[in-house]
Amino acid sequence: MTIFAEFFDVLCEKVNIVFGDRFSDFTHITRYILPALSLWILLRCAISLLREKQSPEEWGYLTLPGGVRVTLRHWENIIGRGKSADVFINYPTVSRTHGALIRKDSGVWTIYDLGSKTGVLVNAAKIKKPRVLSAGDIINIGGVDMIFVPIDRVGERIQAESRRRFSRKRQGFTLILLNILQLFLSLQFIAAGGEHSDKVLAGFFGLSVVMWATYIFTRIIRRNAFELETMAFLLTTAGFAVTATSVPEDMLKQVLFLTIGVVLYFVVGWFLRSLNSAVKLKWPIAAVGLLLLAVNIVLSDAVFGAKNWLTIGGFSFQPSEFVKVCFIFAGAASLDRMFARRNLIMFIGFAACCVLALVIMSDLGTGIIFFVTYLIIAFLRSGSIGTVFLSVGGAGLAAVMAVSVKPYIASRFSTWRHAWETPYDGGYQQTRTMSAAASGGLFGVGAGNGWLENVFAANTDMVFGVICEELGLIMAVILIFTVLLMAVYAFKYASNARSSFYTIASVSTASLLVFQMMLNVLGCVDILPFTGVTFPFVSKGGSSLIACFGLLAFLKACDTRQNASFTVKMPKKVKIKNSKTKAVRYDTHTDYDFDEESDAANSGRVDNFFDGYDDRWMKDD
Amino acid sequence: MTKIKRRAAAVILLVVLMLAGLGFYIYSYYKDGMMWASFPANQSVYNNGRLSVGTITDRDGEILAKVSNGQRKYSDDSAVRKSTLHVIGDRYGNIGTGALYLFEEELTGFDHINGTYSKEGEGGTVTLSVSAALNAAAYEALNGRKGVVAVCDCVTGEILCMVSSPSFDPDNMPESFEAPQYDGVYINRFLSSVYTPGSVFKLVTIAAAIENIPDLEDRTFICTGSYETGGGDIVCTGYHGEITVDEALAVSCNCVFGQLAEEVGAETLGEYADKYGFTESFAINGVFTESGKYEISDHSYNVAWSGIGQYNDLVNPSAMLRFVSAVANGGYAPELTMLKGDNAADSEYMIKNSTATMLGEMMSYNVYRTYGEERFAGINMHAKSGTAELGGDIAPHSWFVGYGEKDGKTLAFVVVIENGGSGSSAAGNVAATVMQKAFDICG
Repeated sequence: MTIFAEFFDVLCEKVNIVFGDRFSDFTHITRYILPALSLWILLRCAISLLREKQSPEEWGYLTLPGGVRVTLRHWENIIGRGKSADVFINYPTVSRTHGALIRKDSGVWTIYDLGSKTGVLVNAAKIKKPRVLSAGDIINIGGVDMIFVPIDRVGERIQAESRRRFSRKRQGFTLILLNILQLFLSLQFIAAGGEHSDKVLAGFFGLSVVMWATYIFTRIIRRNAFELETMAFLLTTAGFAVTATSVPEDMLKQVLFLTIGVVLYFVVGWFLRSLNSAVKLKWPIAAVGLLLLAVNIVLSDAVFGAKNWLTIGGFSFQPSEFVKVCFIFAGAASLDRMFARRNLIMFIGFAACCVLALVIMSDLGTGIIFFVTYLIIAFLRSGSIGTVFLSVGGAGLAAVMAVSVKPYIASRFSTWRHAWETPYDGGYQQTRTMSAAASGGLFGVGAGNGWLENVFAANTDMVFGVICEELGLIMAVILIFTVLLMAVYAFKYASNARSSFYTIASVSTASLLVFQMMLNVLGCVDILPFTGVTFPFVSKGGSSLIACFGLLAFLKACDTRQNASFTVKMPKKVKIKNSKTKAVRYDTHTDYDFDEESDAANSGRVDNFFDGYDDRWMKDD
Repeated sequence: MTKIKRRAAAVILLVVLMLAGLGFYIYSYYKDGMMWASFPANQSVYNNGRLSVGTITDRDGEILAKVSNGQRKYSDDSAVRKSTLHVIGDRYGNIGTGALYLFEEELTGFDHINGTYSKEGEGGTVTLSVSAALNAAAYEALNGRKGVVAVCDCVTGEILCMVSSPSFDPDNMPESFEAPQYDGVYINRFLSSVYTPGSVFKLVTIAAAIENIPDLEDRTFICTGSYETGGGDIVCTGYHGEITVDEALAVSCNCVFGQLAEEVGAETLGEYADKYGFTESFAINGVFTESGKYEISDHSYNVAWSGIGQYNDLVNPSAMLRFVSAVANGGYAPELTMLKGDNAADSEYMIKNSTATMLGEMMSYNVYRTYGEERFAGINMHAKSGTAELGGDIAPHSWFVGYGEKDGKTLAFVVVIENGGSGSSAAGNVAATVMQKAFDICG
């Protein structure tokens, strides 16, 4: 470690010698380049994400009389006469929501009767409980016969190959742009002449290392979409700039938190790979969340008014940040579980406990975030049965919150939109945020040159102001758009998710992130009441950063583009013999083994990192 | 799945809300950004609540105040520093009407592209309409006496000279301001003080008489040195015999003006004092001036004295400057400003055009008849003096107001010397010096 420290110390000196007096010119010029680079990075991610044509996966077919073939595009399909049915059969004897066809990880399909009037028949026998289907079974729904043909292993593999052809943006290049951004930022900090320039340099270097390690690991496990991660790292880069200006001595700690965050990202993602285990794990994970909150309430000391900090063994952290991950887990549900009333009630109970705990901790901001996320989840889940429960639950929670934190709310609301009338009291932080933000103009005063970072909680709650001041309004807007693009990503890809579990998880996560950002940004500039929540990925603080990367896995889980997401399993190994779709390059193999592991070993080739696609999958046609 | 897919659009609603909020913020930044940036807690441009950037120059670009190495620096010339102190403001913020505080927003150098950022961090520059040299000359002419000297361009309203005495050198501050010579040193007397006007108020009385007494020009009045009204004597400055109003103004005959005031009536005089802006505060670059006073009495003795500028009359020097500018400007009062080139301001139709012309002629006659044209060589001078009695043994305030024309340029002036004695000699001499200098510099 000391060698590293020395290295960066010497590097800093060298940089100072090389630039010398021209440093003010450096910041003067690069302050225009930084937003331009960020915009380029964001646009590359956006184009890569939005331009790619959506080709939904196919999981099976239902052949209707007359030869019409309905494709099953998800693992969970509703059959019925209702407009929102995935398999729409407009026949009077068919109920609106008649039955459900659900596939498990294992590839086993089950049919459910969702309380239909005329029942569900499989091979002419009425089912009394969910029945496992096999290929060729004849399903009868309201008098309509359908032949059920699931896609088999070979079919999955063929589909995987055929969907692989899209050439993605060269994401390695985007990362290099991000590296340049990080480099310029570090140099601006050295130019600003802070005491800990070497630590700042080392911090940005560490960030870059973690970023490339994540990318290389992603490529090793044969995934080639990195837009979402790039966006997260863009935000984190801004976050590092905030840390560098406010507490540069914490830069290396921040690298550690980032590393833990990335590990959590892969761990959560790994849980999500198997729908079965994700569904099984959700209640234990929810229980852990509640336990965390309970421990928090019992053990915590009030820090700065809110009791949402927990110190264990010298490490302070905010349990509520991690509970966000648990909350999404608990809220998401696969279609079969959604019809179970018990599941719904448990979720309402869980949400109520969370919000109540946050109210006790007087963490109003996080409480509202949980509540809004709850509303989004409720809206996504509410079928005909659940609507009543959910709305009652929602109203109940709102009432409890409003009553319990009334004096707190009242004081926040009295200042709201009147910050300039009480600049030394209730509007202290907002007025300073606005003043510093205005000082920065569109391009900022240069990294490390601001003053807002000296104001209490600037690097967390007023981070928007710090970014505006030092890096400019354009940069701040780009960061906001980055989070918004994550939401658009979730919205776009959630519709092709395999299970509603993933759709709910990703959409509610996106909502949580956007809403949290909204409270942070609009709160500190007095457009919304100031609640003191963090800007996802950007605000300084380990808990927040780690939790955000954990949440990122939920977003990634809905991405069913081929080879895009590690949270989506690729087809298992199968042996294809004499297949007409066999890859030309491997035609010397008479018996090619699509073994995931053996492929993984090959795909770590360095020359491939800058390629948007794996050229081995480009076929002769 | 289809239903959940559709409902996923809820997240787009949040995205739209965020965009709306962001749009509102950007609008607010556009609208209020300058106000936000000039908040004294903004350490980019303030240091301990004092503006730490920005340069103020006089009308010719001479630097009156700047910042170097984070320190406020005033002019290099001690006379300029003293004479422009009230224009600029002191370094501790005790003079709240100085340019340092009035033009804070401009001095921060804020613009919507770069905020308050500039490569050298020097902030913005404000060019004032005052002339450093003229201010210094005026301060010197006051020669340590307390009072006001101000000169403005009658058409544009640009203030060329604004001196308030006592003053001090901001770079060599006296240790204490206890001594009587520093009474009210932080006050810009031009903007924020009021004085008994004495005879200069006769300009108001005569204007009211011109418009309310139809045969005024044809009439003659008798002055016997004093006359009795309401149980008291109105004492004149001399024995004037049978005279016209023109003559009465030139010799500043109290008997005639006492009679005119009674004839016109206190109500009407009050209306004219209001109309000519003497009783109301008005704004000069955002500073509200001290308002003067005209008290309507129902006692003829008081009414007579009020028409002579005594009784309870009070006049603010800037209001007087504006009034004489209007006289010079065909009745249109320009909006006074301390900023160079800031002459877009609307002028206000204050005095009836014909009345203004008559007043101008009378003021010109005053100079010819009483003050002496030779004192103002080369300048077509129009003036009125005032010697405002303060009662008892206190020396009267000395006033000299009016305007001068030279080479097609018209400059108005007001000079007040506290306890300066005779208006025409004490204040008149200062006016003579300053007006010569003013035309030399700004003409």
